[in-house]
Parts: sequence; C-alpha cells; structure tokens
Amino acid sequence: MNKTQKWILWAVLLTILALYPIVFGIYYSNVFVTFAIFALFAVTLNLLLGYTGLLSFGHAMFFGTGGYGTAIALEHIEGLPLLPAVLIGVLAAVALALILCPIMVRVSGTAFAMLHLAFGQLMYVLALKLRVITGGEDGVGGFPIPPFSIPGILSIDMTNPLNFYYFAIAVLGLSIWFIWYFTKTPLGSVMVSVRDNDNRVAYMGFMVPQTKAIIYVLAAAFAGVAGSIYALFQNLIAAGDGFHILVSFAPIMMVMVGGIGSFFGPIMGAAIFGIIEELTSRYTERVELVMGLILILVIMFAPLGFLGFLRYIKERWFGKRPDMTTTEDVA
Amino acid sequence: MNILETRAITHDFSGLQVLLDVNLEVKAGERHAIIGPNGAGKTTLFNVITGTYRPSEGEVFFKGKDITGFKPHKLVRLGMGRSFQITSTFSRMTAFQNIRMGILSKRGIRFNMFRILDKMQDVTAETDEVLKRINLDGERNVPAGMLSYGKSRSLEISMAMATDPELVMLDEPTAGMSKDETHHAVELIRRLTEGKTLVIIEHDMDVVFSLADRITVLHLGTILASGAPADIRADQAVKDAYLGEMEV
Repeated sequence: MNKTQKWILWAVLLTILALYPIVFGIYYSNVFVTFAIFALFAVTLNLLLGYTGLLSFGHAMFFGTGGYGTAIALEHIEGLPLLPAVLIGVLAAVALALILCPIMVRVSGTAFAMLHLAFGQLMYVLALKLRVITGGEDGVGGFPIPPFSIPGILSIDMTNPLNFYYFAIAVLGLSIWFIWYFTKTPLGSVMVSVRDNDNRVAYMGFMVPQTKAIIYVLAAAFAGVAGSIYALFQNLIAAGDGFHILVSFAPIMMVMVGGIGSFFGPIMGAAIFGIIEELTSRYTERVELVMGLILILVIMFAPLGFLGFLRYIKERWFGKRPDMTTTEDVA
Repeated sequence: MNILETRAITHDFSGLQVLLDVNLEVKAGERHAIIGPNGAGKTTLFNVITGTYRPSEGEVFFKGKDITGFKPHKLVRLGMGRSFQITSTFSRMTAFQNIRMGILSKRGIRFNMFRILDKMQDVTAETDEVLKRINLDGERNVPAGMLSYGKSRSLEISMAMATDPELVMLDEPTAGMSKDETHHAVELIRRLTEGKTLVIIEHDMDVVFSLADRITVLHLGTILASGAPADIRADQAVKDAYLGEMEV
C-alpha cells in the first residue's frame, strides 16, 4: 500500500466514523461506543497475552480501577474538567500496576494467571466492602459529567450522546493507534522476543523484567482508559461492571475468538461479541450461553481465531501462502 | 593479558559437586577449547561464567573486572556473547528479526518506543549485512523455527556474535551436525571470530584440533590439563581419561 492509498483509507474510515451516528441513530452509536471500549480493553490484554505470552485472569482490575478513579474523582472534586478526570482514572490504574509489577514481572505461565485471578478478586471484594468510598454494590453513579472544554475557546456538552460518541471514539481510537505504534517500535520487538524465548533475550543484552514492567504498566494504563471512558459513558461504575471475573474473561474470549497474536484480531473479536450480544439479547438474557458455545466452536475448529481462520481460507481457496514477513504477528 | 579468568570456581547443585576448584585462564585473542567427557561440568562452567548461575565459591574475572554473579544482560553489555547447546533462537520470528535483536542490543536501542523499527534504515542495513556474511540472506524472512537444522545452528552461533562481543562463548556449536555442516560451521566460526577471543565447548576432536590454539580438559569437575593442542595430545592423563577412548 502506498502513501496516497493509506491517506484515502484513513479519510474513508474517519468519514464513516463521523457519519455513523447520523446514519444509524443514537442507539447504535451507543452500541458502537461499547464495542470501542471493549476493543481497546481487548487490545491491551492482547499486549500481554498475544505479544508477551502472559495470560492474565484479572485484567479487569485495571479496567475497574480506571473507572472508579474517574468516577470517584468526579464525585468528590467539584468542577474537575473532563480530561483530568480521565487522567486520574488512568493514573489510578498505573499506580495499581506499579504496585503489582515487581511481583508480576518475575513470574509467568500459571503463576502469572493465578496471581491475577487472586488480585482481581481482591479488588472485586474491596469494591464491594469499602462502601464509604466505592458505594458497595450500587457503585458510584450519578456523578457530574463535565463538558469537554478548552478554557476560553470552546465547551462541548458531554451529556449529549452524540458529542460523547465523538469524544469516546477519539480517545479510544487514539489509544488503539498508540498501542499499534508501540508494537512496531524496537521495544515492541523486544516484547515479541520475550514471548518467544525470554532466556535468550537476556543473553542478547536486554533486561527482561524491566521490559516486561513497561509493557505491563502500558497495558494497565490503557485498560484504565477503557474503564474510565466506560464509567463516563454509563455515568456509573459498580463492582459487577468493573471488577467482576467475567469482565476479566471477556477480553480473553475476544482475543481468542478474534485471533490471538495478531493486532487487529482482538478488535475483530470485540466486534463479533458486540454483534452477538446485540442479537441474542433480543431473545434471551443468557448471552453468556451463546458466547460460551461460540468460544468452544472457535477453540475446536479455528484455534487461531477469526483472523487465523480467514488466513487459512485464503491459503486453501486462493492458494496464497501467508506472508512470511508477518509471522511475528502469528501466535 | 587474560581476558577471562576463573579463580577457584566450585559449584554444587544441592550437594552434587559439579565443579571443584576450577582455575581457567583465557588469553585475549586466543581460541580456547574446553573438552571432556559427558558430565565433566563443561556447560556448568559456561553457565557460571555467563551469569546463569552464581558459583558456590570462587570468582570470575572478565577483562580484569570481578564479574562473579553478574546477570547475563550485564555481561553482554561488557562484551561477552554466548550460544547454547540446544538451539535457542526466537522460533516464531524470522532469521532477520533474530539477528536484528543483536544489532539493536549492540547499538544500545533497548527501550526505544518512539520510532518505528522497520524504518530504522541503518539497523536494517547492518542486519542484512550480517545475514549475508552468514549465508542466511536467502532465508531472511523464514521463521527461525522453520529453518533446516544446519541453518538454525548457524543462526544460533551468529546470534551470539551479533552484539559484537570481544569474548565469544560457544557451547557445542556443531552438536548434531552432519560432516558437511560441521565443516561449514567451523569455517563460519573461524571467519566470525576473527580478532575476537573464542571459548568453545566441543566433542568433535577434528573441530577442536583444527580450531583451537589452546585446550583445557575438564574431567569430573576439575581441570585435568591445559595447554597447546600438541601437548594435550601427548598428555598421558588426558589419554587415560578421555582421548584414549576417542582414537585420536
């Protein structure tokens, strides 16, 4: 793809995103915002799972911390502007990651997964029990949503769903773009080699724990962004939405279904989940039942996920060998 | 001047004595082979020197500096490189990407997250140059795990040298190779270690005697003999313990 084509593609994509709420209406715009939140959340999990080879059963704790951080800040600090509120949520998630990372970067495999399960559940229980701060089961809700403002220049009302759609898509889209950029940098390539052979990385002169720590904090920070936007979007964050074990499992399933290891797989997975949830919830409340079934089918018949399946079809029917230069993306 | 020196290295794995009072001296610029029967402690000695284990007792000196207990990444930055007996490449990354890791490390690009790696022309050019030198330019975009055995061993050896170390430590580089592949590997090692110091563990006596200027024989965790190839060949103790069985 040359430069002109790239610019045209970007222009088309931005136009679609801009016109989407006007064409499909507010209801589907909100569906799209939910999708985008979980797409970013799944991309941050994939940074750990697909790129660094670390499976976490407690990724929700960063999502929840981001959400609670923003919500509690807006509840207690009067006149707090929008972006600093998001930033407080992100910093809360980063703080949690910094506390955990000295332990987490030194373990991998089952220990990494189970420690996250433990700390994830701990955060869930804390959110339920520290009623004074977190509101217990009811969570923190009804906090004021400040306008997006640049002092003296403009002030955009964020309680208007259309305005919020543009704000959310911009923040989430930029975050995903930043993570994509990160995977292409030298540090991103060290990350992939840690997944392949962490022992050899050290013998090539790289500091493995420190590298893992940066990736870990980065994944937590952007999971915090997703959580923060989620809290603003719902104007509510509760333990069940933020810290529940299913919130940890959702991105894992999205990554598995969409395509593990490839950058755009998790986004695809989030889209597939969004569509399925939208369709099944019209008929039944048991959305998880359908999701579980799909996960089983994917693991049995398309272990590399939706994108892996597409790649397989392309190879099978069009006789096109997968491009060897992109193998770093294939788990 | 000794580039590498171990002083009274003793190492045991919870009671199992593997190394006992090992005093190894490697002069700068020499090609030094460590030989000995299986279980003599050769790889353990390597692991102690390159920072995998901290020795139970004794010290390791590199370029006159006490490096006992240094971590591998630190030793690499001081100018040491090692390869592994069991191929230890980044199997899902291409040959190019494998070598590029070494080039990045050599240039000190370790935590850069602000530039796109593929657009760093100088890194790409240098990596391609290395690939050409090791005859892997034809396999540039093949994942390391899909290379033929001989090629993946070449990659393994070259990765140890991609960081441009002064001291290269190769652990049985020709293990499992055919006669032909061994010949090519020896040529490769000779070419790549030009002007560097080489310490090599090897079982193939043809390789040892064609490559080494000095040989150290390790037997049951101690140094049995150390000297020029001709002296080692003539040494009665070495013949009894090791070479005798090998019809040299």
